[in-house]
Amino acid sequence: MMDESNPYLPYTVKVEEAWFETPGERCIKTFKVNFTDEKVWDTWSHKPGQCAMVGRLGVGESMFCISSAPSEEGYLRFSVMRMGKVTSALHELEAGDLMTVRGPVGNSFPLDEWEGKDIVTIGGGIGQAPLRPVINYIRANRDRFGELKVLYGARTSDDHCFKGEFDDFRKEGHGCHLAVDVSEEKWPHFVGFVPNLLMEVSPSPENAVAVTCGPPVMIKFVIQNLEKLGFAPEQIYTTLEERMKCGIGKCGRCNIGHLYVCKDGPVFSYATLKEIPEAFA
Amino acid sequence: MVDLNKLRDKAKEVLIRDDVRRLIGWKRGTYGFESAPVVLKDASEVDILIWDATCVQNLASLLTLEEKPPVPRGQEPDTRKVAVMVKGCDSRAIIQQLIEKAYERDDVIVIGLPCRGVVDRRKARELFGDLAVPAEAKIDAEKVTIDIGGDFKTVERKDVVMDKCLRCRYPNPLVSDTMMDSEIEKFADDDFADVEEFEKKSPDDKWKHFDEQFDKCIRCYSCRNVCPMCYCVECLVTKLRPQWTRRSTDISENTAYHIQRAWHLAGRCIECMECQRVCPVDIPLMTLNRKMTHDVKEMFEYEPGVDPEAPPLLASYKPNDPEDYIM
Amino acid sequence: MGDFKFAKEKLTDVLSALKDFKVFAPVKTDGVVRFQEVADPAQVSLDYSNSNVPPKELMFPETETLFRYRLGGTDLDVANPAEGPKRVIFGIRPCDAQAFSIVDNLYGWDFPDPYFQGRRANTVLVGLACADPCANCFCPSVGGSPASEDNVDAMMFDLGDTIYLKGLTDRGEEIASAISGAVEAAGDAEKKAAAGQAEEASGKIQRSIDTSGIPEKLPSLYDHPFWEQFSDRCLGCGICTFLCPTCHCFDIQDEVEQFDCRRARMWDTCMFSEYSLHTSGHNPRPTRKERTRNRISHKYSYFPTKFDVIACVGCGRCINYCPVNIDILDILEKSKQAEAKEEQTA
Repeated sequence: MMDESNPYLPYTVKVEEAWFETPGERCIKTFKVNFTDEKVWDTWSHKPGQCAMVGRLGVGESMFCISSAPSEEGYLRFSVMRMGKVTSALHELEAGDLMTVRGPVGNSFPLDEWEGKDIVTIGGGIGQAPLRPVINYIRANRDRFGELKVLYGARTSDDHCFKGEFDDFRKEGHGCHLAVDVSEEKWPHFVGFVPNLLMEVSPSPENAVAVTCGPPVMIKFVIQNLEKLGFAPEQIYTTLEERMKCGIGKCGRCNIGHLYVCKDGPVFSYATLKEIPEAFA
Repeated sequence: MVDLNKLRDKAKEVLIRDDVRRLIGWKRGTYGFESAPVVLKDASEVDILIWDATCVQNLASLLTLEEKPPVPRGQEPDTRKVAVMVKGCDSRAIIQQLIEKAYERDDVIVIGLPCRGVVDRRKARELFGDLAVPAEAKIDAEKVTIDIGGDFKTVERKDVVMDKCLRCRYPNPLVSDTMMDSEIEKFADDDFADVEEFEKKSPDDKWKHFDEQFDKCIRCYSCRNVCPMCYCVECLVTKLRPQWTRRSTDISENTAYHIQRAWHLAGRCIECMECQRVCPVDIPLMTLNRKMTHDVKEMFEYEPGVDPEAPPLLASYKPNDPEDYIM
Repeated sequence: MGDFKFAKEKLTDVLSALKDFKVFAPVKTDGVVRFQEVADPAQVSLDYSNSNVPPKELMFPETETLFRYRLGGTDLDVANPAEGPKRVIFGIRPCDAQAFSIVDNLYGWDFPDPYFQGRRANTVLVGLACADPCANCFCPSVGGSPASEDNVDAMMFDLGDTIYLKGLTDRGEEIASAISGAVEAAGDAEKKAAAGQAEEASGKIQRSIDTSGIPEKLPSLYDHPFWEQFSDRCLGCGICTFLCPTCHCFDIQDEVEQFDCRRARMWDTCMFSEYSLHTSGHNPRPTRKERTRNRISHKYSYFPTKFDVIACVGCGRCINYCPVNIDILDILEKSKQAEAKEEQTA
């Protein structure tokens, strides 16, 4: 729960664990953090899809999805790709260091409405981070949902995030379909872009919901393909991002049409986005 | 006097050409003494063009202001020419832009308009009040005839034109492909009396003056954006990675911005005075710019925007350049 | 509610009587009027059309500290905007006061903004009705009027030699009692003159636009080329947004000065390209066409969609100060004439 008296004040968190998910210049680092003031947990509750403004005092903040499900108690996870000023400053941090978290902000996936349905998650690169809490929520509440299929592609096998978790999905009986953009030695799974992986797996739209996140161009083609497979706009969900500063719908910049991504989103159904000319400009 | 019909015909002649993609001119504004720059893409639109003493904007700015987004795959960028109408002062901006290779001479078609002066809207408001209807202003050497919705008035040129017009040395465009009128004699020489007057103040008084002025600044960057010489794709002052100047509007950052801009204009400012005209809080920006112009003239005998063959001042070196602070 | 009057030449006495308040009023320097904290009552001039920078800078300063901290530390020293004596904005025009009410919707939305709300709660608005609206004023077209009493705590009418002051709310009454020593009771003559002036002023408004249908129509004109007429000459500066009383966008930056640091926010504008620029280099609004379209759509479509009110008060500043005569009434008229896609193909 944000500080009610002043939503601009961040909480201090300590990094409990930090590790790299992927290598390279735009590497992704995951942080497991805990509030330095335990009392924050008393009023904290977040839902899959929600985000937080994460940063460092002296540098600034950026919006990141909370990559852990509520069932993962006692900590929050964020996965950060190193791109600019704030993310580079975050990447300097290791276990024991402090950062700031301000949140939770934004809306969440309407998991209550999805009960009893089959869920397909379609992720690309760092886009798997907001899908992870959805997957873990479903895993923790198995009997409330139908089949879970996880589709996830990245440039190379090195660039997949959360690598250690795929075997767990398979062991638990969920579909787990991975892809890399270009073929590589010893890669036994699909080779091709995520929208093509989707057509290969060809999930049925019958009583199903599809959730996708990844680079904007991937989202565009995934949605096209989902429609080809027979998914109605109401069955397709995505989570978007824009440049953000306040995270609470005041500074104005994250709008897509009349929707503020930080407040009316970041989770949107395609049915909503279809009506907004700016959404797929 | 420029014949408006001939001007429109010339515009049509230019826009019809296969190798021209747009023409920049002025159109009547929506109120008072406003004019608006207009970008025409089709010869059928030329009747909207005007030319009178309200045409204050320096259209050379629109040459460098044009955004060129990436071209969709399979398409070629449109490299056809741009035609632009310029007054005397505006043409110096074109020459300076050519000196700096902002574009090639062949990329532009310059329609030259010898100019007798443009109306200073602040002075006009004092004289004629706050007008909701558009006004026209025809100017000759001594007088300006104002037409406010059919109501005609005449005023002395010196009472209503911009200060720069009172000391105008270049009423005729120094570069053009077509000149739409015969040449006009220059109005005065520039003795930089205003600069020398300000120089006499004590350092404390100068500092106090600029503190008061820069304190007003709201960092709208209108001065920078309207300037024909400020065309860096990413301006140093608003760059974020790395960030050199803070975005907060305290006196230190405001002063840093204005001094940086004045320095970056040294030897380049062609004194169109658009920056001072557009400032919404009336900062007398030309005090700094004219000081630089004056110093550049004294120290280097250089005048920007006049000789297209001259190399840019601060990108060239002469053996007798004054540099007593180095040796 | 009390009604008072005082001679215009006694304005300094009235302002001096407000010594327990922090008073902001229009001050004319070198011919330019801007709202400032009044050090010397003699500086104040009620003889003005409107300030260049709107009094929004008093409620939402161009730069303000959110909190301070030491580099390496975690304690936050939070700025308290409601600290100090009660404030009075003396002589605010009805349009600028209406702007505060419009922006209240956003600043009070879900997570109330304590800085703006704190100042709002601690500020009394004493309005000054317009006797002579300026050429580009169009407040009646957007739900206002030259003498609208809707958004102020008290209203003054400049009747020539006399100022008539009407207390309107409890907070307005507070002001009235503070200045009771410097004023007299007003009578029917003043009331009648004020009412007459208000009616005359409405008649003096020269420009207007019928806004019905615009909020619904603008999104349908998303791909229409008419936006280029304006974006072609837009300089991409911040004049229209910074001088607009309802524009409220801001940037947040951390400023480090050795060990003393602060997180501050400052006005930002959707007209700058960096406004929506992603770190990856992607910009959802890459050119001035998208940004111009976004600004007008935000004020006349997106904001009303969310909050049922157009985010414009018709003060005319954007028209008066745009260096290239981009005139919002011109844009809105053209949008009404432009054919939306469905109409085109029909």
